[in-house]
Amino acid sequence: MVIREQFSTSLSSLKEEVLSLGSMAEEALAETMKAVSRHDSEKLNIIITNDRLINNKELIINENATLLITKQQPVASDLRKVVVSLKISSDLERIGDLSVDIAKAALRINELPGGQGFEQEIQKMGARTNEMLKAVISAYRDGNVLEAQKIAAIDDEIDKAYGEFVQSIFKTAVLKPGMIENITQLAYISRYIERIADYSTNIAEWIIYEVNGRRFDLN
Amino acid sequence: MSAVTVTDNRNKTVYSDELRRNIVEIESGKRVYETKSLNLWYGKDHALKNINLPIQENEVTAIIGPSGCGKSTYLKTLNRMVELVSGVRVSGEILYKGRNILDKNYKVEELRTRVGMVFQKPNPFPKSIFENVAYGPKIHGIRNKKLLHEIVENSLRGAAIWDEVKDRLHENAYGLSGGQQQRLCIARCLAIEPDVILMDEPTSALDPVSTLKVEELVQNLKKDYSIVIVTHNMQQAARISSSTAFFLHGEVIEYGNTDHIFSTPDDKRTEDYISGRFG
Repeated sequence: MVIREQFSTSLSSLKEEVLSLGSMAEEALAETMKAVSRHDSEKLNIIITNDRLINNKELIINENATLLITKQQPVASDLRKVVVSLKISSDLERIGDLSVDIAKAALRINELPGGQGFEQEIQKMGARTNEMLKAVISAYRDGNVLEAQKIAAIDDEIDKAYGEFVQSIFKTAVLKPGMIENITQLAYISRYIERIADYSTNIAEWIIYEVNGRRFDLN
Repeated sequence: MSAVTVTDNRNKTVYSDELRRNIVEIESGKRVYETKSLNLWYGKDHALKNINLPIQENEVTAIIGPSGCGKSTYLKTLNRMVELVSGVRVSGEILYKGRNILDKNYKVEELRTRVGMVFQKPNPFPKSIFENVAYGPKIHGIRNKKLLHEIVENSLRGAAIWDEVKDRLHENAYGLSGGQQQRLCIARCLAIEPDVILMDEPTSALDPVSTLKVEELVQNLKKDYSIVIVTHNMQQAARISSSTAFFLHGEVIEYGNTDHIFSTPDDKRTEDYISGRFG
């Protein structure tokens, strides 16, 4: 006889909430990168304001997870599901914050003479990170450990791109001292994107923990 | 039963230092009991099937499993109380400190002075609190009143009930609450200075506060005694034991470090049972 059906339903809806937070974080990053490329200050401001929706969603997940622990006292894989929902939602919330940080840096660039520069590189890094975030959320949905493990390789790729990018913009800074403020903001943006990739890797580690009960260090 | 491997290389299983220590301890700890290929039949009913199980010294071992899985039967083999049931047949070995207690030359009286037992329902004798605790030592020939007083006081202190009863030692034990009666029974058990205390669902008839008091007591007792506790309360097993054995249909499905069993059990049946998915 299958018992604890209500508990299983509550666990599934908790996961749905986290997946929906994942979509929100992923959309925030995609929209931010789009607004960065279009120098759309109005849109960037909207993204900054809307971050509270992501924060709020994380709070709801925290409350629901705490209630589940209190009322159902889950153990073993059930408990891991609840703990992982807390961990992943906290990482997703940080990803939301980092998109806000990107938006703020882009707003500062939009106010500077000389514009952005290096658009192609920054967009490429953003797009790859967005793919990574999408992939990790999908791996979480399916409990796919193999996919989660692949995420680490993308993180290495983004780390490398970040290092090269920062080097190249600083070389430009030497040649064009007038661009120093623009380049500083660009360095920030690339750093924030790289951090998002790190948080996505964290999420991948949590997926492995949820499924196998073992902690893996992917980065 | 499966062995637990501990590795901590990159991209390998990573355990915290604490869990790793626990796992090492369980693999190397001193054992008070060693059960080998134990089989038990009630008439034709094969109630225990090829049980191989160690009991760690000065630790709390929890035995869990659904009703009728053989956990209480196993507990009662450890002091041979199971022999009181008619038609019981046993094969295999239970080594207590290296000697097989199932050997026909092993004196059961001697075993029972080393192994005390606490039951599901508190069962004090219809005597005073003092007499309940002094009963065992008296049977063992202790007549010296001062010594008896000392034993009674120490046992009641050991069972964390002294302060509640010290002014009413000569009142009938039936006047105590259920939780107090159970701690009195534990004191009675301590009075014969056993090595091992067997507990058969000792808190299932108690209210939550009394339950927590007994759990606290069990934690304190393990420095001096080896404790085996049968419980239906999963959280209780997780809270108080250092190793856990999961019984199902007369077999040990899984035995290991409690932290491991309750976080990442190796067998799906264990996981389903502790998660409340059957039982």
